[in-house]
Amino acid sequence: AEVEETLKRIQAHKGVIATMVINAEGIPIRTTLDNSTTVQYAGLLHQLTMKARSTVRDIDPQNDLTFLRIKSKKHEIMIAPDKEYLLIVIQNPCE
Amino acid sequence: ARFHGNRRSGRWEPVGSRPPLAAMFADRTAAGAAVESLWRSARSARCEAKSCQTGKISTAETAVQSHTSRDAGVQTDQSKDAVQDFQQEVQVDYASLLSFLQRVEDAVIKELNKNWESRAFDGFEVNWTDQNETVLCLHTLSYPEAQDQNLQVTSVSWNATGSVVACSYGRLDGGDWSTEKSYVCTWNLDRRGLNPQRPDLVVDVPSSVMCLAFHPSQPSLLAGGLFSGELVVWDTSRTEDPVIWRTGMTDDTHTDPVYQVNWLPDAKHRNHNRLLSVSTDGKILMWREERDGRLALAEGFAVVAQQVPRSAQLKKFTWGEAAVGVTSLSFSHFDPRVFVVGVEGGYSLKCSMAAETLALHRTGSSVPLRAPAELAFSPQGGPVYSVSCSPFHRQVLNLFLSCGTDGQVHLHSMLQTQPLLSLQLSKKYLFCVRWSPVRPLVFAAASGEGNCNRCFWFTGDVHLFDFEKSSQKPALSIKQAAGEHPVYCVEFNTKQTRLLAAGDAAGAVRVWQLSSDFTEQGPREMNHLEQLASEITD
Repeated sequence: AEVEETLKRIQAHKGVIATMVINAEGIPIRTTLDNSTTVQYAGLLHQLTMKARSTVRDIDPQNDLTFLRIKSKKHEIMIAPDKEYLLIVIQNPCE
Repeated sequence: ARFHGNRRSGRWEPVGSRPPLAAMFADRTAAGAAVESLWRSARSARCEAKSCQTGKISTAETAVQSHTSRDAGVQTDQSKDAVQDFQQEVQVDYASLLSFLQRVEDAVIKELNKNWESRAFDGFEVNWTDQNETVLCLHTLSYPEAQDQNLQVTSVSWNATGSVVACSYGRLDGGDWSTEKSYVCTWNLDRRGLNPQRPDLVVDVPSSVMCLAFHPSQPSLLAGGLFSGELVVWDTSRTEDPVIWRTGMTDDTHTDPVYQVNWLPDAKHRNHNRLLSVSTDGKILMWREERDGRLALAEGFAVVAQQVPRSAQLKKFTWGEAAVGVTSLSFSHFDPRVFVVGVEGGYSLKCSMAAETLALHRTGSSVPLRAPAELAFSPQGGPVYSVSCSPFHRQVLNLFLSCGTDGQVHLHSMLQTQPLLSLQLSKKYLFCVRWSPVRPLVFAAASGEGNCNRCFWFTGDVHLFDFEKSSQKPALSIKQAAGEHPVYCVEFNTKQTRLLAAGDAAGAVRVWQLSSDFTEQGPREMNHLEQLASEITD
């Protein structure tokens, strides 16, 4: 319902290739990609987010991770972390 | 009458025809002398039966090697994380999911917008691998026996895994019907004991092999087209007799040398593949494998001058029903039924496998031949020897290259007859042109031969062109061999993308390792290519 609306809004944004929501265990809940790619992204990005978060907190225990962006040759991956979920958006900028 | 020895006279006479006056020949059979066998009785008189057997070995169970066992460890541990299974029913609390999304949505949208407008990373490139600036010749492979017979390398091909390169020896300048024996040699470049003078496999072929093609997914199948018009398929993993299929000399076979052979995946049957062969007798034939080792004709096309679609720019050819010699073929990567052929008349044709009209051809083949041509592109100054379709371009503007004896390379779009770009690469003939499989803006061309009165500024024989650097002259020209030996064929390795193989008339195949600027795709190359194509059209 509203969940789908919100995701659709994000997906419809300029240059967005894919949108995914995964839960705290790394299991995909909503995705716009095919099964195998989603599983691959979910596993790898979940681990990376945990690592990034622990890095930030190790440097300063009062600090915490709010957003993670990975810029690659072909596109950009944006991750919004949370206690229970992870929102992953893949965008191809300037296209 | 049988001859009996010891006769006083030597005359032959049948028994009973003369009165028995003198000693006559007569037929007799004497009873044989029999000698009784004595050995058994003699033997048994002397032998006595004795028994011989090893005595029973007494055994007792005292100890076994391991009588207690314990589970120490298993190789794969039960993973602590939950198995990533999408089919698993996940309990989703929609309320909390919704609140999460509402919280992050704004932040994400803001980032998406910022990204869209950001110019911060324009032109920013990271070099992860060592930048290799030079082009090296990794190997010079040759077969001395073939070189002694002054055979030239007519074609090279890389196999599906990218580790084996095969070359065919023959003659490209032999004008008349030659029955010279030729060879097909393969080298596995990843083997440790690679001897460049000794190929891993040499196949003797009774006629000159003009072209080779490895199967796109089965690494050991190799197809070759012969000077006699036949096609042969070898299985390089079989040592005794590598030939597995051949067309033989039937009414369907080409009457002229086969200049190019290609494998096609058969759309209906995923396992079987079909072969396509192209020859200067104007026929483009598709063969399918039969069980008895024969290749049978499945479909065929014939290009006849009268059926070539004319446009206003083409000169009038008064050949009528004459066959148009086809020298090369390339399939479009986006529509598998569309292909481009280059002809001896100096122009290229866009053809379709779905063509319905029958060809005005002398009948004689078992399958009716169709006329495939849909569009004729504007001609070059000499026969077209090679065409290559870009593996990158999208459906809208399908690009292909054609090169010929006028030393020019034409970049065409399949939508219009005039070329987008004509490059005068060399004063010499260009024998082969190939797009790079990794960089959309790069292609390689092989040159040599022709009347070259004065030295041109391209001294090399393999030219590498990069549209990103310059659209006028080659980015790199590699001199294949000392002396005026034309390079007849060039192939990129699709699996190990830094390798390029080139075969020349001196009978050697050189494997070149390209520098990283030829093998790494830049960030906006596809856009660049489209831009290039569209700005030239206008």
